[in-house]
Amino acid sequence: MIILLEIIALIAVLVVSLIIVIKSADLFVDNLVEIGGALGISEIILGVTASAIGTSLPEFGSALIASLSGNTDIGVGCVIGSNIWNIAGILGISATVAGFIGTNKEGLNRDWFMTLGTGLILIFFMLFGDINWIAAVIMIFAYCIYLWFLIKAQRKHGKNNSNNDSKEENHENNKKNKKSAINKKSISYIILGLAGLIIGCRLLVYSGVELAQIAGIPEMIMGLFTLAIGTSIPELVVTLSSAMKGLHDLSIGTILGSNTFNILIGIGVPALILSVPVEPLSLTLDAPVMIGVTVLLMLLIRVGGMKINRVAGIILMLTYISYAIVRIFIFG
Amino acid sequence: MYKKILVATMGEYMDDLIENTLNILNDKDAEVIFIYVVETSVPFLTPKKVKEMMISELKKRGEEILSHMEKAFKSSQESGIKFKTIMTEGKPAVEIVKTAADENVDVIVMGTGKSIVDKHLLGSVSEKVVHSAPCTILLVRTVN
Repeated sequence: MIILLEIIALIAVLVVSLIIVIKSADLFVDNLVEIGGALGISEIILGVTASAIGTSLPEFGSALIASLSGNTDIGVGCVIGSNIWNIAGILGISATVAGFIGTNKEGLNRDWFMTLGTGLILIFFMLFGDINWIAAVIMIFAYCIYLWFLIKAQRKHGKNNSNNDSKEENHENNKKNKKSAINKKSISYIILGLAGLIIGCRLLVYSGVELAQIAGIPEMIMGLFTLAIGTSIPELVVTLSSAMKGLHDLSIGTILGSNTFNILIGIGVPALILSVPVEPLSLTLDAPVMIGVTVLLMLLIRVGGMKINRVAGIILMLTYISYAIVRIFIFG
Repeated sequence: MYKKILVATMGEYMDDLIENTLNILNDKDAEVIFIYVVETSVPFLTPKKVKEMMISELKKRGEEILSHMEKAFKSSQESGIKFKTIMTEGKPAVEIVKTAADENVDVIVMGTGKSIVDKHLLGSVSEKVVHSAPCTILLVRTVN
């Protein structure tokens, strides 16, 4: 009876901490953009950065806090699990519900190759055993280059659009880009958001580890599934609702951008602070599955005429279910 | 017969909607209103910046659709029929019904929309409008 109550209490902590983490990440990014704008940083840079990190902060925070508190398995599991869930689970569900998700060739090629490349980089570093600070520096540097490409692409897109805009709108934009005073409220919200992220992630990792111990589940499984799916809620709501509204670029861009961020920053930053150990099964099963679903996604897009159609969505979901069954019941 | 017609569009089957609107126009004093509703609702836990980005993209798309409709409609008919476009925010079915009542239109023209599977998964705007419209509705068959 006491164990049951303990499990219920831990599940409640897990759910509440997830909401705290997601809302805090939103508050943090939102006000960071406000301050960036006040400091005169271009709206394009702020917009690209905010959308790139906005939905992925929960995974990053959880992976970082888990690694710092000595639960590296749960951290690495959360990152790799999120990446598999993002493609096979979230894109699968979204394409099935919305009917299809369209793609833009230029954006898809850039983001997909980056997602595949980062997955291969991760496997390469995993082959050497622990992921150390040298690998971390290379990964973080690679992410900065990717961010630069995103900003460049957005600038090009912005230029094309501004050719059609009126002078009045340009004048308004210039006014917006000028420096203004930093709002003290924004600074307080950033601190509040950061505090919420740290506390929320700590509670999330704690409840995940405790639940794993009580239920006798390996921490890696907890990270790969419970935390991975939980911290990917922002990706799920954004991808699903944008697919339903027909905003296809945002839908697929959110997933591929998040997967790149999760590996390069979600594993890169913790590895910069302390070496991240690699579990053999991660190298032989989880990471190859992550690469496999990334390749499967491109194949399904090509077969579907540059779209992820409903059949492809169902195939992706079945792939995720099969992986979950094999990972939990055969290798768990 | 119909003096004021409201055409609701989400950007699909625009040619079918224009063709059917022209078919029921037989009064030179008629007025045609095209409406596009920017659906602003997003699920709980959607990041604020992403929501803003979504709304901005939908507005941009709405402007393109309405401008396309205006051009296509004007090039398809010679008489001096009055024409206007409305872009509004909210729930599509609610806004279409509200605009129909506010503008006192005689008929709403819209597509039947989705397949039976899509209707169950996504819901149907036309079905909701049918139940609460203050006027006649012409549902254009748009499902293959």
